[in-house]
Amino acid sequence: MKENNTPMLQVQHLTKHFPAGSHKLVHAVDDVSFSIERGKTLGLVGESGCGKSSCARTVIRIYEPTSGKIFLDGADISALTQKQLLPFRRKMQMIFQDPYASLNARMTVHDIVAEPLRAHNICATRQEEHEMVREMLERVGLNQEHANRYAHEFSGGQRQRVGIARALILRPELVICDEPISALDVSIQAQVVNMLRHFQEELNLTYLFIAHDLSMVRYVSDDVGVMYLGQLVEKCAADEIYAHPLHPYTVGLLSSIPVPNPRLAKEKDGSGLEGDLPSPIDPPSGCRFHTRCPFATERCREEAPAWQEAAPGHFVACHRING
Amino acid sequence: MNEQNRWERVSGDAGEAERIYRRSRTFLGDVWFRFTHKPTALFGFILVVLLLAFCLIGPVFTPYTYSEQNNKLASIPPLLKVYPGPAEGSNLYITQGLKLIEVDDEGHLIRQLKKKKDDSKAKQTSFTWDDDTLVYLDYSRLPNTVLDRDGNRIETAKTVWNRTYLLGTDQLGRDILTRLMYGTRISLMVAFIAALVNMIIGITYGGIAGYLGGRTDSVMMRIVDIISTIPLTLYVILIKMCLDDGLLSIIIALSSVYWVDMARVVRGEVLSLKNQEFVLAAKTIGSSTKTILFSHLIPNAMGPILVTVTMLIPSAIFMEAFMSFIGIGIAPPMASLGTMCNDATETLRTNPYQLFLPALVICIIMFAFNFVGDGLRDALDPKLKK
Ligand SMILES: Nc1ncnc2c1ncn2[C@@H]1O[C@H](COP(=O)(O)OP(=O)(O)OP(=O)(O)O)[C@@H](O)[C@H]1O
Ligand SMILES: [Mg+2]
Repeated sequence: MKENNTPMLQVQHLTKHFPAGSHKLVHAVDDVSFSIERGKTLGLVGESGCGKSSCARTVIRIYEPTSGKIFLDGADISALTQKQLLPFRRKMQMIFQDPYASLNARMTVHDIVAEPLRAHNICATRQEEHEMVREMLERVGLNQEHANRYAHEFSGGQRQRVGIARALILRPELVICDEPISALDVSIQAQVVNMLRHFQEELNLTYLFIAHDLSMVRYVSDDVGVMYLGQLVEKCAADEIYAHPLHPYTVGLLSSIPVPNPRLAKEKDGSGLEGDLPSPIDPPSGCRFHTRCPFATERCREEAPAWQEAAPGHFVACHRING
Repeated sequence: MNEQNRWERVSGDAGEAERIYRRSRTFLGDVWFRFTHKPTALFGFILVVLLLAFCLIGPVFTPYTYSEQNNKLASIPPLLKVYPGPAEGSNLYITQGLKLIEVDDEGHLIRQLKKKKDDSKAKQTSFTWDDDTLVYLDYSRLPNTVLDRDGNRIETAKTVWNRTYLLGTDQLGRDILTRLMYGTRISLMVAFIAALVNMIIGITYGGIAGYLGGRTDSVMMRIVDIISTIPLTLYVILIKMCLDDGLLSIIIALSSVYWVDMARVVRGEVLSLKNQEFVLAAKTIGSSTKTILFSHLIPNAMGPILVTVTMLIPSAIFMEAFMSFIGIGIAPPMASLGTMCNDATETLRTNPYQLFLPALVICIIMFAFNFVGDGLRDALDPKLKK
């Protein structure tokens, strides 16, 4: 296994705006920067609609970035055409949120899992393809009997495993998991997460793991980034974010998880998050969180807080923190 | 409670809970099951099969061809009103041209009697039955009838079914049943080919417009809008006028216009499918546009496509019949349901069956395909899964 120090994924000032009719823009992702070291996992959390999926899909280049740079293993892929991207697609794959919508109902499991092999002309013969698919299915806990069935005959957990098999059969280095377990039963969630962890160790995978609540992310992540309305508001090591959340939004998110932990319970300000997520079409001025922040001041309303390192490795964008 | 344990506790035996309980059926198997469990759909399907048998196998069993004329036996209806003839078991049928035809008791046409003398004053015509017998046809007042030995009008006629020409003959003495078979064959062939061509053009055009989206989509769809603002019938007629007579030009005329509906349907489907996660997944995999279009988008849009095609078949049949009816369709003597209707209008008052029969077949075809189309739409809707 080669050792090098370039981060597996580095995202700089990534911005993605969607047109929303009559010259308006949805600010789905706004100036997001982060990097993930090889073999590590970055958890990305935030409320529904804060732009996590958009961020992931822009990183993997199924959405065109509005601006910003994406470096995959040191190579800038943000301006490549889809054709030029093809070799890079082998290195990065995605596991999708909805195990029902992410598998083509008209294809058998075998065809679904073999699709990446066919797209990249990996197998010379049908025999070889068959062998690879069988091996991959076995590793995700499905057998040959499942291969000739259609995806709609499977349960959610089984489908998600098919999705994992499809993402991993190319032996990618970076896997983006877009809420891979939030559509599953709690009991099945554990299986899937354990499977993902197992593959990470075995194949030295790098994960960008998206979730909408912090409890899930803690278990799988090395670092955690918190997103609010298209922007990253806090990023630090996973344990740190539980022990010392700095941004009021992170605190709010943490307090909304029912964790019987007295130390955390003491830290929270008695209230979780109030109000709704403002529209990403007209994001609030200054700090985007000021409309819901219990500590908002005049300054928060006018001036956007800088992204600063409050403690070693602990980044936050909030006026209350003066680093 | 330790947060970490929440993830570790469940072991592999949860697999038991997610075994597959539904009997494994392929997608097509499912569709077939639902299709055959809908009575109207099944009925329509059986009708289609019968129609196919009628037009493909039927001609083997008839002794006539579609173009064989027999002027002596023109416009003989399927049901014959006959008067008793001079010999035992013989009957006489009076044609519209005031000729006498000998018919046996079962309804076979035996021969046409030879005319001897026409007495226009008494309004009687004599015919030679055999060397020493004459039969008299009296047309002095309606209904025309035959005189018996004593010279009295026979007023009681009986009705027998024409066994020689089961559905009668047209005004040129051609067997209508045989012509119906060939006509149905032509109509179905035109419809199937036109539907197939329309399907291919429509899928490609609509698929590209929907998949590329944006400006390409706008331009392509405006073209479709322009084409469809003018009635399609008019186009078909215009195109047909520019081409030679014959089957091929009808097919070209129909194929070059009717795809607009198909293009719209496909484009709508593709537009709604292309942002679904399985298509995004195909993109992240790096599948080519061709793969995405033809193995992800089109197969998932197949339901509405098939329904549109089965609905397109009756309109193509109707259009072909219509063109033949107004005289720009199939060239004679080839039969088509439309030309048969057209020919029949000339003698509609005296021979309504000549119009009724081809019109009935057109109706049956339209019904059958509409039923099948309806059934397919329901069967292809996975939300109705049992
Ligand atoms: N293709 C698109 N066109 C226009 N707007 C979009 C598009 N995709 C997402 N958006 C908008 O961008 C914002 C962020 O959406 P996104 O799906 O990234 O949120 P999310 O954090 O993934 O939410 P969830 O947790 O529900 O998946 C939303 O306001 C959404 O309406
Ligand atoms: Mg999402």
